[in-house]
Amino acid sequence: MPASGSQLSGAKRRKWLHITVGVALIVVTVALTVGWQILGASEIARAREAVTLRWVVYFFGTVLFSLLIAGLVLIVTLLVREVRLNERQSNFVSAVTHELKTPVASLKLYLDTLQLRELSDGRREEFYRTMQQDLQRLHATINNVLNAAMYTDRHVVDAQPLDLAKLVRHSIDLTVTRHQLPPDCFRYEGAQELMIRGDATALETAVLNLLDNAVKYSKDKVEVRVEVSRNGDGQAHLRVHDRGVGMSRAHLRFIFKRFYRIGREVRRSRTGTGLGLFIVKSVVKGHRGTVSAESPGPDLGSTFTITLPGVIEEPEGGQPAAS
Amino acid sequence: MPRILIVEDEANLAKGMQFNFEIEGYDVAVAADGAEALKRLTSKGQPPEGFDLVILDVMLPGMDGYAVAERLREAGDFTPILMLTAKGRPEDIVRGLEGGADDYLAKPFELPVLLARVKGLLRRREWARGGAEPAAARVGEAEVDFGNFEVRARGQTFHLTLLEAMLLKLLVQNAGRVVSKGEILEKVWNVSPDTATRAVDNFIMRLRKYIEADPRLPKHLHTVRGAGYKLVLEA
Repeated sequence: MPASGSQLSGAKRRKWLHITVGVALIVVTVALTVGWQILGASEIARAREAVTLRWVVYFFGTVLFSLLIAGLVLIVTLLVREVRLNERQSNFVSAVTHELKTPVASLKLYLDTLQLRELSDGRREEFYRTMQQDLQRLHATINNVLNAAMYTDRHVVDAQPLDLAKLVRHSIDLTVTRHQLPPDCFRYEGAQELMIRGDATALETAVLNLLDNAVKYSKDKVEVRVEVSRNGDGQAHLRVHDRGVGMSRAHLRFIFKRFYRIGREVRRSRTGTGLGLFIVKSVVKGHRGTVSAESPGPDLGSTFTITLPGVIEEPEGGQPAAS
Repeated sequence: MPRILIVEDEANLAKGMQFNFEIEGYDVAVAADGAEALKRLTSKGQPPEGFDLVILDVMLPGMDGYAVAERLREAGDFTPILMLTAKGRPEDIVRGLEGGADDYLAKPFELPVLLARVKGLLRRREWARGGAEPAAARVGEAEVDFGNFEVRARGQTFHLTLLEAMLLKLLVQNAGRVVSKGEILEKVWNVSPDTATRAVDNFIMRLRKYIEADPRLPKHLHTVRGAGYKLVLEA
């Protein structure tokens, strides 16, 4: 729980302690192995009898020592990974607590106000609109948590033909409405129709998450370019390019990980749970596709690219099942 | 008309609170982050805006609420702070109170409770300031001025937070008698007497720094093992 500076630095200290002890153990074991090998080899070189046997023992000893070191390295790596996940998980709890409790607190405040005060009709309408916003936010967070659980490690079982281009354009319209943006914030380029096989609901969730991020991490003006195209080897590409806050190279490696968020939770400047991109990745993986992110650096925008196999070259008969 | 500064980055919550406090007759301003709050509260170079109370959210962009409270206290500002946060665990509450907050409310809260807490804080401030006797006291060499939240001792002036002033006043009112930790928690912190916290001990140590010539060998503010604390005005 990163609520405080001291607690956070405590957790950090513990993390560094684990890593330092692990690395120290590895160094000591390597030093011991090398020392033993040098001593052993020089002794065998001086020996007069049973030389072959000594070499055999030496050989197996070396193998066992190597296994020991490999095992140690493996354990330390797993430990570091576990510590990192743990850190992200407590950040997640903190973020979800905030994301769930803030709209609930706001809804409760407005409900109490409506019950407690005599209000003009105009004021009442205004409060209803505010409560709608809070409900939408709550709904989005709940969906995020549920989707993350639903799409983790799951392959699409029943892939249906769908029009990816149409699905993306529909998602753009939804995002524009949701964030009450002027329609020219998004520029759509590329195919008018692109049939692929996939799970329309899951893909729409993923695309909406990408578009939502593009808006959320934009600076004052939202300017997002969305491209849908296909390449020769039967793959569809979706590219979302924004001119928002971007990120440094160090973060790029981690952003698709579950619960990962840039920056400390208690000082968070943008809402979220750290699940959005994880859901994108899970959905794309479920379609045996890939997702990647690029950013020239902080404040220089970012580009997310999804590649999906399963393009249908000739549209099949019947109605496409795009959402 | 009491002036309240609401420090809250969630626009809907800030707007809702502002609306209600204005109906109750308060003069309300809103700051969306810690830096803006500090600027308005300390208002360097300009006449201070003179807030009577701060409602401070913990999770803020940039600088969190704990840091705002600590900075404010360091800058010598002792405006009462009501801390608001989504985290309502005992350790979060204690951390807020030790860091300079005077009261604490977990989100989501009941509107009547919020209004009552604010009223209570303002009343407690009046109580500590002079609403209840005494308005001033002398503890050995130290002069306590409850009206200005100050202790003058050894040629120095120490500022008291609301909680420090309330604790000291409670002890002065009961000078010569043992006051239990439970009673202090109930009357000063407004929490259940069996709350497990080191807050009282920390505050007693802080008070000793103001009134004792040698805080390690207290002559006035004594710990009575297993019973509580006792203030002796003349050693």
